[in-house]
Amino acid sequence: MILQALNEYYQRKSRMPDSGLAPPGFEHKAIPYLVILTANGEFAGIAPTHEGEGKKKIAKSFLVPQGVKRSSGVASNLLWDNPGYVFGIDAKGKPERAREQHLAFVDALRSRLASCDDAGIRAVLAFLERGDFEKVYADPQWPEILEAGANLTFRLEGDPMPVCEREVVLDTLSATNGQNADGQSLCLVSGEADVTERLHPSVKGVWGAQSSGASIVSFNLDAFSSYGKSQGDNAPVGKRAVFAYTTALNHLLAKGSKQRLQVGDASTVFWCATPGHRMEELFPGFFGEPDKDNPDQGTSAISTLLNAPRTGAGSFEDDGTHFYVLGLAPNAARIAVRFWHVKTVAELAINIKRYLDDIDITSDGVHQRLPLDGYLAAISPESKDRTKPNVVYWKGKYYDVRPNLGGDVMRSVIEALPYPQTLLAGAIRRIRAEQEVTYPRAAIIKACINRYSGKEELKVSLDENNTNTAYRLGRLFAVLERVQEEANPGIRATIRNTYWGAASGTPGKVFPLLIDLSNKHLAKIRREKPGRATNLEKLIGGIMSALKPEMPYPINLPLIEQGSFDVGYYHQKEHPSTYKSQGE
Amino acid sequence: MRTYCLEVTGDFACFTRPEMKVERVSYDVMTPSSARAVFESILWKPAIRWHVEKIEVLKPIRWVSIRRNEVGAVVSVRNAQEAMNKGSGNLALNIEDERQQRAGLFLRDVAYRLHAHFELLPNAGENNTMGKFLDMFERRAEKGQCINQPYLGCREFACDFRLVDAKQPQPAPLAESRDLGWMLYDMDYANAADPQPRFFRAQLDGGVLNVPAWSSEEVRG
Repeated sequence: MILQALNEYYQRKSRMPDSGLAPPGFEHKAIPYLVILTANGEFAGIAPTHEGEGKKKIAKSFLVPQGVKRSSGVASNLLWDNPGYVFGIDAKGKPERAREQHLAFVDALRSRLASCDDAGIRAVLAFLERGDFEKVYADPQWPEILEAGANLTFRLEGDPMPVCEREVVLDTLSATNGQNADGQSLCLVSGEADVTERLHPSVKGVWGAQSSGASIVSFNLDAFSSYGKSQGDNAPVGKRAVFAYTTALNHLLAKGSKQRLQVGDASTVFWCATPGHRMEELFPGFFGEPDKDNPDQGTSAISTLLNAPRTGAGSFEDDGTHFYVLGLAPNAARIAVRFWHVKTVAELAINIKRYLDDIDITSDGVHQRLPLDGYLAAISPESKDRTKPNVVYWKGKYYDVRPNLGGDVMRSVIEALPYPQTLLAGAIRRIRAEQEVTYPRAAIIKACINRYSGKEELKVSLDENNTNTAYRLGRLFAVLERVQEEANPGIRATIRNTYWGAASGTPGKVFPLLIDLSNKHLAKIRREKPGRATNLEKLIGGIMSALKPEMPYPINLPLIEQGSFDVGYYHQKEHPSTYKSQGE
Repeated sequence: MRTYCLEVTGDFACFTRPEMKVERVSYDVMTPSSARAVFESILWKPAIRWHVEKIEVLKPIRWVSIRRNEVGAVVSVRNAQEAMNKGSGNLALNIEDERQQRAGLFLRDVAYRLHAHFELLPNAGENNTMGKFLDMFERRAEKGQCINQPYLGCREFACDFRLVDAKQPQPAPLAESRDLGWMLYDMDYANAADPQPRFFRAQLDGGVLNVPAWSSEEVRG
């Protein structure tokens, strides 16, 4: 399914103009230096291709013949490679090998492009055959190139593009990419007959994998082969399908791609069956880190989705278009599939909207719904080690998020499943640790509780008809805290700092004491503002009216009830009636 | 030709896709070869061959990702032969040296109803009649007898089985239809030294995967 979906995506996208996908037999490769040649093959200089400034210099990408996969043997790329292959210069103390590499480079050129009558190719061949590279080594940029082993290719003086992008060369190469019809078998991705690919090209861009790229389909050790087959024969995939899926995946994972995001240690890519669908733009707004250039991406995505039915824009009607989300995790030279979601765009829009409704909670207009990272950061401690894969960066700080939590929450949202237990537990734990119920934490708890029970148990703002004991106790705690603040203006450490954990976990022990304290505070308030004191008493009385007379304060509250306590506290705190009685 | 129906349930299943068999990813639905293996674990003789007809999916398709320690090397045949000839040798495979961590995307909480029949092969001996094997299978399946514990794709994912009378009303399969792409049907052992895979285009229709006959032209390879 996965390879098939990628294959189809390639087929559709490559037909669209400006797709940026390489045609069969080619790839886009960043080449940092171009060797400039005159028409008769004389060396005329080295041009760097870096764009950007300072530390962010990135080499420009060119369309080059697809690179060969090599691990330890000598296998040359066509028209581009590192200095060892292009010049035969040896940087590692193995002159024999360097010579072999250079020979391979020249051979590849001769065999594939001998028939090509192009000025650029003639110049390159003349230059290489002459074999005199002293002028190259004398160039001031040479030491840098040699040390970095940077890729090089050639450009004719006066041409804007490198030799490999010249039209005649492109045509020759596309033509010679023909198939040989022997040894064809069924391709299990496309179902057509095709030559089985032995080694699949690498997929680059998966966070944490080898820098030279890793493979999803690989059989690199004996234990992984079955039925006496070796390498690609273990899973017959045809060359065309292999090229399609690896090119599509590399394109989605490329640096600067707008269709990838990081969820924990899984590099996630997402695409729609029809390329360019609106959902592809909106998706990162819900789950990804806010783009540094576009910090409002998250909020605008959310509002677009919510307003879609009303404005008619957004085309999220049920036309059966599929949306795919693929999470890839690294394992040295291989890539593991961490998760794979397939949903129609309409279903996805409905499920994301459900999630947005779940996490909607009152905030006096100050806060808005955040992308997923905001919630994960709110329930995680600050991180001491920024390099770990599960660290999330949010508003200037780094947080240690539990490893699988991001992926699990994403799965719950996309598939409309209950949220992971660790989400609720994490929120409550962080509240206890910091004695503070913030907007994201309250939102998470409300979302989790409502999804577990299947109905809207906790509403968006204060619900005076909610008779749940834990909810009422949370409200009561907020009012008692307010009473203490009004009795002692300017106080910094309230009952929240001292009694929060006990009040939410074992209310039976603590609430009688708190009520007693509050009576003393009320007496103090009554001396200056008797009306306010009476109103506060009425408020307290109203809250306590729903507590059971035989057991008003339970001995302890289970975790979910503690969540209700936290949300009740938050609702009451955000409600103006706590601060100003009606009529004042 | 009697068609038998078995209901299998398990906690985990992994019907490994051939292209992602190192970092395992399962097919969405049970493959015909795994279904055949369940029947064969109850009864198999060289005289019979099982053919799977239909696979019904009873529970929603749910995934779980698990990472496990496995081994990357294979014990060498040469070493084994030498040891056999000499009478002693070292065939040990040390996990510490050969450890490979492999992640897998498996199915969880699965339940299927499998429908299959068996055919008597032409080279069956004279004493082997269809009736004999039918009786044997029914007896064993009812009692829960099996040669090896039936499993769902990988041996570590053992499953429970129950013989079901398909004519009685049964709980309905999942109300889902999707295109499952090209699925592995089975391996063709016509040339025993070089087994070839065979594939077919799988469609889930209202929770039912109809499996074409082995010899039909829908099975390609």
